[in-house]
Amino acid sequence: MPEEEAGGESLIHVAISAEEVFQIGPLVVTNSMIGALLASAILLLATWYISRRGSALIPGRLQGVIELPIELLAGIISASTSRWRSYAALILCFFLMILVANWIGLLPGVGTVGINHVEEGHEVLVPIVRPASADLNFTLGLAIISVVMFIYWGIRAHGVGGYLRELMGEPLYLAPLIFPINVISELSRLISLSMRLFGNVFAGEVLLATMLALTTFAAFVYPLALFIPGLFVGLEILFGFVQALVFALLSLTYISTAIAEHHEPGDASDHGETDTAHSSHPPAAEAATT
Amino acid sequence: MDPRAMAPDPKPGSTDGPPSTRAPNWALALDLGIRMALTVGIGLGGGLLLDNWLKTLPIFTLIGMVLGISAAMVTIWNVARDAMRR
Repeated sequence: MPEEEAGGESLIHVAISAEEVFQIGPLVVTNSMIGALLASAILLLATWYISRRGSALIPGRLQGVIELPIELLAGIISASTSRWRSYAALILCFFLMILVANWIGLLPGVGTVGINHVEEGHEVLVPIVRPASADLNFTLGLAIISVVMFIYWGIRAHGVGGYLRELMGEPLYLAPLIFPINVISELSRLISLSMRLFGNVFAGEVLLATMLALTTFAAFVYPLALFIPGLFVGLEILFGFVQALVFALLSLTYISTAIAEHHEPGDASDHGETDTAHSSHPPAAEAATT
Repeated sequence: MDPRAMAPDPKPGSTDGPPSTRAPNWALALDLGIRMALTVGIGLGGGLLLDNWLKTLPIFTLIGMVLGISAAMVTIWNVARDAMRR
């Protein structure tokens, strides 16, 4: 917990774990849960508003701004594999949810409006809302969904046997060595996805809190110091977008490579479906899809 | 936005869809560095846990380290292979 003291009063309070705001029976409601619910509510309201209005043939400025990133991602998804329509919704959902969850942290009042608590003799402010992606539980949950879907698609495309054969490698007598290596490699995807997003967003939160605390007193001497946190907010807008895009693109890459795994021509019939667009053995792929 | 992107799943093997770019490789490059470090960490951590549990230090730590380093190499190979295939 990075804290800076000034005259016995805490200036910066950013806890690594989410903090309890209130309790409903046995359910502890944390500030990151409120952030996640807020992000969901914003997305639901936006969906309701856009679907009620309908999309114009010639888009206006607002529609253009909303459609631009979605169109970019939809274009990338549609070029991934021939079965892109089955997972396009999941990837777009990842992107939009993470984007809104990241950007919620930049709204005025988020992280600054809260309830005062006394911790270890110091009075600290527990924010009511915290960006959901600054909590490892949220990012780990999303990463688990992504990895489960990637495994599901691998099994659906190649069958349970094909997927296990991929993990055990060839020749079969090396399986006791190759299997743990592949399991470690697969496990690293889960941790990499969750830790990257959490690390970037949490670091952004700490950076913003630190810059605000540093410039609050300096602003009395140099009023221009108030603009310094503004620069970092601008950077956080960019980082929030990039992190959402990276998470969505990596999930997309994992799923598309799971569908288009490399197999010998003779294996294609055993594995069920094979992706025609990406197989390195077109005859086997054709045989599997016809 | 292209309405086809939200259309129901087509029959397997169809390749229709808006013409566009492939997923950029920079996302994979960003992922690779972290995964290399993580694979070594997972192997080493797993080995240490096993050694502490079975009181066999340093056998499983060494095995875990070797497996972790091997997994890092396999990860590089897999990522490079996938990137070249796409």
